[in-house]
Amino acid sequence: MSKGEIAIRHHAHHFESADAEFEACKQGMWLFLVTEVLMFGGLFVAYGIFRGLYPEMFHEAHKMLAVKMGGLNTVVLITSSLTMAFAVSATQKGRRQQAILCLSATFFLACCFLVVKYFEYSHKFHDGLLPGAYFTNTELTNPKSPLFFSLYFVMTGLHGVHVLIGMGVIAWLIRRTIRNDFSAHYYTPVELVGFYWHFVDLVWIYLFPLLYLVG
Amino acid sequence: MGQKNQKQQHQQHHHILSNKMAFTIGGLLLILTGVTVGVAHIDLGRLNFFIAMAVATVKALLVALFFMGLKYDRKENGMIFATSFIFLAIFLILASTDLFFRGDVYVKGPLMAAAQGPSKLKKPWISTPELVGKGKELYAVQCVACHGVEGQGNGPAASALNPHPRNFTESEGWKNGRKPTMVFKTLKEGLPPSAMASYATLPADDRWALVHFVLSLGPKPQEDTVADFAKVGIDPNRAVNEEKEDATLPIEVAQERMAVASLQSEFEARLYHPILRNTPPSEEVTQLGQHLYQAHCVECHGLHGEGGIKVKNLGVNPVAFVVTLPFQSSTGGLSSQEQFNHRVILGLPGELMPGMGQLSSSELKELYQWVRGFSSR
Repeated sequence: MSKGEIAIRHHAHHFESADAEFEACKQGMWLFLVTEVLMFGGLFVAYGIFRGLYPEMFHEAHKMLAVKMGGLNTVVLITSSLTMAFAVSATQKGRRQQAILCLSATFFLACCFLVVKYFEYSHKFHDGLLPGAYFTNTELTNPKSPLFFSLYFVMTGLHGVHVLIGMGVIAWLIRRTIRNDFSAHYYTPVELVGFYWHFVDLVWIYLFPLLYLVG
Repeated sequence: MGQKNQKQQHQQHHHILSNKMAFTIGGLLLILTGVTVGVAHIDLGRLNFFIAMAVATVKALLVALFFMGLKYDRKENGMIFATSFIFLAIFLILASTDLFFRGDVYVKGPLMAAAQGPSKLKKPWISTPELVGKGKELYAVQCVACHGVEGQGNGPAASALNPHPRNFTESEGWKNGRKPTMVFKTLKEGLPPSAMASYATLPADDRWALVHFVLSLGPKPQEDTVADFAKVGIDPNRAVNEEKEDATLPIEVAQERMAVASLQSEFEARLYHPILRNTPPSEEVTQLGQHLYQAHCVECHGLHGEGGIKVKNLGVNPVAFVVTLPFQSSTGGLSSQEQFNHRVILGLPGELMPGMGQLSSSELKELYQWVRGFSSR
């Protein structure tokens, strides 16, 4: 029997029970995710409006994005969501080794996502497909084209920052799991980071078709 | 014993996603990704977008319900999360309705006094030499700045406009079609978001005259069909003067007009109010010359006398483009105070520079000093 399972988790004094604490933490996480939806939401509304105003420009500009790379990243991110789900259920069942393995796999897949993104970005930089005044591409003739790339970089950039933050907290979870902080009785941080990571996946599920496929 | 109880409690409240379920959901997500990519390669027009969004939403639901466990979570958490999407929908829908449907909104009211009367002609959609002649005169005032003297879309303001103004001598590319009623519609509504403004403030007869002049510049136009007449609300079998054209104005034009009016009255209030006039309005405007410049000149000549192409309301005309040159202190109206007074009081007839006879000689002096200062500043 591992140390974590023996030690009974002491909940904070202002909660009735460990369960109440867990539920409160979870609800807090949902509220945080609401603010995240609204933050990304502003960008999606901007996308919707500019797409409505300049449909031809969007159609022309979106062809410059690499669908294969975007598709690969979608697969990478969905797989990482799956490994994250396994990490959560392994922790819930008290299977520490399996949890460490799954968390590491998630971390590794997040790295892959960013590496693919790096290649995509550098290709765009090379082609001069940059936001606003930095746009130097001559292939796209529509004068509004830089707008599409402003949206592309801000939307995928903000998402990329979320992936980076996600990697940070997943690394923290790996360390704590190795330290034997979690057990079948206490796994709140793992489950909540899981929520966050699935949310990052969820944003990409919309970003990918909107930017790469139907532009 | 307590430990065991707690464990049971946990199992009761917290759903643990089974491996089988996780694999199923993950697999479904990957398959659906394949479906979106596949469908995107088939051109289905607008349908592509809706299919992609529907598939994405199914995927998002799978993630939220199973991976994030909303299906097994307390109902209130689901509601909290759903609320964010409701607000997002409100945000998107209100913004879109404003942006994409406002073009159809017209304002009724006193702003339209000039265009009130219906056409006095029996059948204004039929071209007559008189109408073309009248149209030619109106064209020289209203349209020439952008569309050029010959109607080739190459007026002095044209180079700054994208899309370029219409070349009337060609028969192709007319947005609303090259028929009298459709050109009439263009004159009434403008062609947003291009620079083509609404000329709904011109009397209907004047607009018909412009229609026929503009069409006379190119090959013979197409005939109007019954559907075309319906689009502009005209029954070709009835005499027009029985029908009343709605006294309406596109909302952009109305807003622009009101904005300019309030700006002008503010300047005028300062200028002619006995006390306000002698007190500087703000730290930025400290000299009377600057004050006068901002009241009378800034709209066309720019804040620093830089000139360029400005949009201005001139009298009853809806919008005109005015091209001004930067001030040069050594030439023309700026060579001496006398020359300056002459230019300002008389204006430049035929070149849209209005005369300002209302200015006193001391005001002219101040204004002259201020304007000369541009070249040294």
